[in-house]
Amino acid sequence: MATESSESEEEGKIRGGNDKLIIEEDLREMSKNAAWSVSSCKPGNGVTTLRDDNLETYWQSDGLQPHLINIQFQKKVKLQLVVLYVDFKLDESYTPSKISIRAGDGFHNLKEIKSVELVKPTGWVCLSLSGTDPRETFVNTFMLQIAILSNHLNGRDTHIRQIKVYGPRPNPIPRQPFQFTSMEFLTYSTLR
Amino acid sequence: MENLLANCVEKNLSQFMFTNAIFFCERLLAEFPSEVNLQLLARCYLSNSQAYSAYYILKGSKTPQSRYLFAFSCFKLDLLGEAETALLPSEDNVDEVPGGAAGHYLLGLVYRYAGRKNSSIEQFRMALSFDPLCWEAYRELCSLGAAEEASTVFGNVAFQRLQETFVTQRINFSEGANINQLTDSDKASRDTSLWRTEHVPGENQQDLKIRQLGADIPPDTDRQLNTNGWDLNTPSPVISQVLDAPPPLLHKNMLRSAVEGSLMSVHGGRRIKFSEEMSAEATEGSGRRRSARIAARKKIPMSQSFGKDSYRLHLSPSESNCVPSLSSMIEKCRIQSSKEATTSGQSISDIGSSVDDEENKNPSESSPDSSSLISGISEVLNLLRILGDGHRHLLMYNCQEALLVYQKLSLKQYNTHWVLVQVGKAYFELQDYFNADSTFTLAHQKYPYALEGMDTYSTVLYHLKEEMRLGYLAQELISVDRLSPESWCAVGNCYSLRKDHDSALKMFKRAIQLNERFTYAHTLCGHEFAALEDFEGAERCYRRALSIDTRHYNAWYGLGMTYLHLEKFEFAEHQFQLALKINPRSSVIMCYYGIALHESKKNDEALNMMEKAKLTDAKNPLPKYYKANILASLGDYHKAQKVLEELKECAPQESSVHALLFNIYKQLKLYDKAVLHFGTALDLNPSPSDAVKIKAYMERLVIPDELAMEENL
Repeated sequence: MATESSESEEEGKIRGGNDKLIIEEDLREMSKNAAWSVSSCKPGNGVTTLRDDNLETYWQSDGLQPHLINIQFQKKVKLQLVVLYVDFKLDESYTPSKISIRAGDGFHNLKEIKSVELVKPTGWVCLSLSGTDPRETFVNTFMLQIAILSNHLNGRDTHIRQIKVYGPRPNPIPRQPFQFTSMEFLTYSTLR
Repeated sequence: MENLLANCVEKNLSQFMFTNAIFFCERLLAEFPSEVNLQLLARCYLSNSQAYSAYYILKGSKTPQSRYLFAFSCFKLDLLGEAETALLPSEDNVDEVPGGAAGHYLLGLVYRYAGRKNSSIEQFRMALSFDPLCWEAYRELCSLGAAEEASTVFGNVAFQRLQETFVTQRINFSEGANINQLTDSDKASRDTSLWRTEHVPGENQQDLKIRQLGADIPPDTDRQLNTNGWDLNTPSPVISQVLDAPPPLLHKNMLRSAVEGSLMSVHGGRRIKFSEEMSAEATEGSGRRRSARIAARKKIPMSQSFGKDSYRLHLSPSESNCVPSLSSMIEKCRIQSSKEATTSGQSISDIGSSVDDEENKNPSESSPDSSSLISGISEVLNLLRILGDGHRHLLMYNCQEALLVYQKLSLKQYNTHWVLVQVGKAYFELQDYFNADSTFTLAHQKYPYALEGMDTYSTVLYHLKEEMRLGYLAQELISVDRLSPESWCAVGNCYSLRKDHDSALKMFKRAIQLNERFTYAHTLCGHEFAALEDFEGAERCYRRALSIDTRHYNAWYGLGMTYLHLEKFEFAEHQFQLALKINPRSSVIMCYYGIALHESKKNDEALNMMEKAKLTDAKNPLPKYYKANILASLGDYHKAQKVLEELKECAPQESSVHALLFNIYKQLKLYDKAVLHFGTALDLNPSPSDAVKIKAYMERLVIPDELAMEENL
C-alpha cells in the first residue's frame, strides 16, 4: 500500500484548512482503542494534549526531527482518514510542513503510505489514507505513525493541537457479511 | 383555637400553600400535641416534599394512619426496610396492614423495589382484593407478569366489594361536601371523565374532613358540625372502616341507620371519600402527595357553590346518595398513560394515586337510588375489565389481542392519552412502525402535555429515521418538562439517529439521573455503549435495566447482541432464549437467536428458528436473508440461491441481497449472473466497506475468466 513519495509537487501539497470539522456519517473515530505515544515532548505539552478536544492546548516536540506520533491498536483496524489541527497563524515556525504517514505491524516494519506537504495550514487538515484503487479505500493495519519531517520556516520543534483518526463504521449486526441499505431491512434489523 | 388552626392548615393544604400550612401546623402541634395533629403535620411535610421531616416526626408512632404515613415517608427516602416494618402487622399493632389497599400496594412496591417478587405479587393481589379500584396494583401485577385475567379481578367479587364499601359510605354522607371539583378546565377532553378517588387511610383523614366541613359550612345547619361532631370521628365504625376490616355486620348497621336521601339527618362521624372528577390528567410527573390531594379534595364547592364545572355527581344534599362515595380504602386509581416503568418511580408519591374511569353519564344520573350505584359500579368495572385485559395482553406481548381488546372501548375512552399510548405501543411491539407513528402522533397532538409513552414514540421515529420530526418532538418535550426522563430519552434518540453516540449517551444518563428506575433509559444507555463498542459498559447498563425490571425483553436482547459482538455465542443464545420467553412473538429476536445458533454450529436449529421467524411475521424479509446466508455458509448454494431469488422479488432495492447473490453465483460458477448482481449491488449504494469487499470479490472473479479465455486462445 505504498504510495511513491516521488509524486508530483502539486499533488502532495495541501493549502489552508477548515475551521469546522465535518466528517462523513459512515466514518467513526478509532482513536479510543489506541495507544498514543510521541517521540519527545516538552513538559506540560505532552501527548494528552493531542486527544483532549481542546484546540488551545498543543503538543510540542523537544528533540531532533523527524518527530513521531505513534498510534498503536490492539488488533488490525481499517483506517480511512487522519485529521490534524494545525495553525500557521498561531504557531508559525512550529507549524509542520512535510508530513509522512506510515503504517505497519510495529516499529520494525512501518512503510510509508502517504506523504504530504502542508502550506500555511489554518485549521483542520484532512489526510485521506485511501489509495487510488477503489479496493484500497482503507488501510488495514496494527499501527500508524505520523512523522513530521520538517516545519515551516525551518523550525526545529513542532506544535500540533489535535489529531483524530477515522475508520469505517462496523456492521451494527454482528456476524453478517454485508450491511443493510434499504428501509425495510433496516427496520427489522434491530430492536431498540 | 385548635379547630381554627386545624381548619387553616387544611385550607392551606388544599390550596397548595404548603409552607403556610407547615407553619400553622407547628403552632397547632405545640399547643395541642396529639397523634392526629402529628399526622396532620406529617401530611403537610409530605405535601411539601419533605419526606425526611415526616419521617422523623412519625418515627415510632403506632396508630395505623401514622404507620402508613411513616411507611410512605420511608419509601420516599428509599428506606425500604423500615417501610416494610412499619407496614407489616405485628403483635402490638393491629394485626393487619395499615391503610388497607393502599397499604398493601405500598408494601407491594417496597417488595418490588427490594427484588422480592413473590411477596410483592402477593401484596398487590391483596390490595386488589381490598379495593378493586386499585388499578395501579393491577398494572404492577401485569408488569410482573403475574396478572390474572381482568374479568376475574374486576368481576363479581369486585362488584360485591365495591357495593359494600359504597353503600356504607353513602350513609353519613355530607352532601357534596367532599366532592371536590378539582376539575381542570380541560374539560374538552370529555373523553376522559376521570374520577379521582381518594384514599383515606386513617381516621385522621376523617377528622380533618369533618373539621373542614365544619369550618366551611357554618351557615349550613344541615351539615353543621360543631366541635362535638369531631368526637364522632373516633367511633369505632369509622376506624373499622378505615382499617378495612369492617365486620360485615357493622356495615349493615350503618345501612340500617342510614336514611336514604336524607343525609341531613345523619352527619358527623362519617367522612366520605369523595370521588372526584378530573379530566384526564395524564401527567403525574407532578408527584403530588396523595395526602395533599386528599386535602385538596376537601375543598369543597359546597352545595351553595357548585361552582365548578360539569360532571358533578352530587347535585344537592338530597341527592347526595348518588355520590359515588368511595370505599374507605380510598385508593386513587389512576389510569395512567405511562408504562409501568415510567410511573413506578413517579407514582409512588401518590401511592397509586389513580383515577377511576367512570362513564360520563354517571354524573347525569341524579336518582339517589342504589340501583344507580349498582349500575355505576358495573360500568366502572366493565371499563376496568377492558382496560385491564388490554394492558395485560400488551405486557404479555400478545399485541394483536391487545389491539382487539382496545377496539372495544368507546370512542371517547379510546381517544384518551393512556389508551392511545397503549395502542401505539402495541403497534410498536409488532414492528408496525407506521401505525405506531400515526397513533402516537395523534396522542401527542391531542395531549401535548402528557409525556408518558413519549419515549416509545421517539423510538418509533428513530426506527423510521425521521430525523426532523424526532428533533422537533425532542424540543417540544423538553420545553414541556425539562425534568422528565422521557424528554431526555427523546433527545438522546435524536442524537443517536445522527450517530452522535457520545452525546446520546450523555442524554440517556441524564434521564437516569432524573429517575433511577426508568428501565428504558438504562437499556438505551446500553445500546449507545454497544454502538460505541464499549461492550463492558453496555453489559453493565443492560444488567441494571434487568435488575429493575426482569421482563424488559429489550435488555435481554441487548445483552444477546453484545455477546454476539463479543463472539460469546452460547451466552448470546441464552439471552435470546430468555428474551423470547418473555416476548414469544418477536421475529427479530428469533432471527438473532437463529444467528447465535448458527454461530454455535447448531445449524439445523438455526434454520428452524428462521422458519419460525418467517411464520411469525410475514412482513419481515430478514429471516429469508439470514436463512440464505446460513445455507450459503453451509455450502448449500442452490437452496440459498432459491431463497434469495424469492427475496429479491420482495426487496429489489437491497444491496446486500444482490451482494450475497453475487457470491453465490460465483460459487455456482454462473459468472454472468454473478457479474449482473455485482453491478446491481454496487449501484444500490452499499456502505463503503461493503463496496470494497464486493470489489475485492470481483477481482478474484475476473481472474478465472481470463484464464479460461487464455486457454481458448
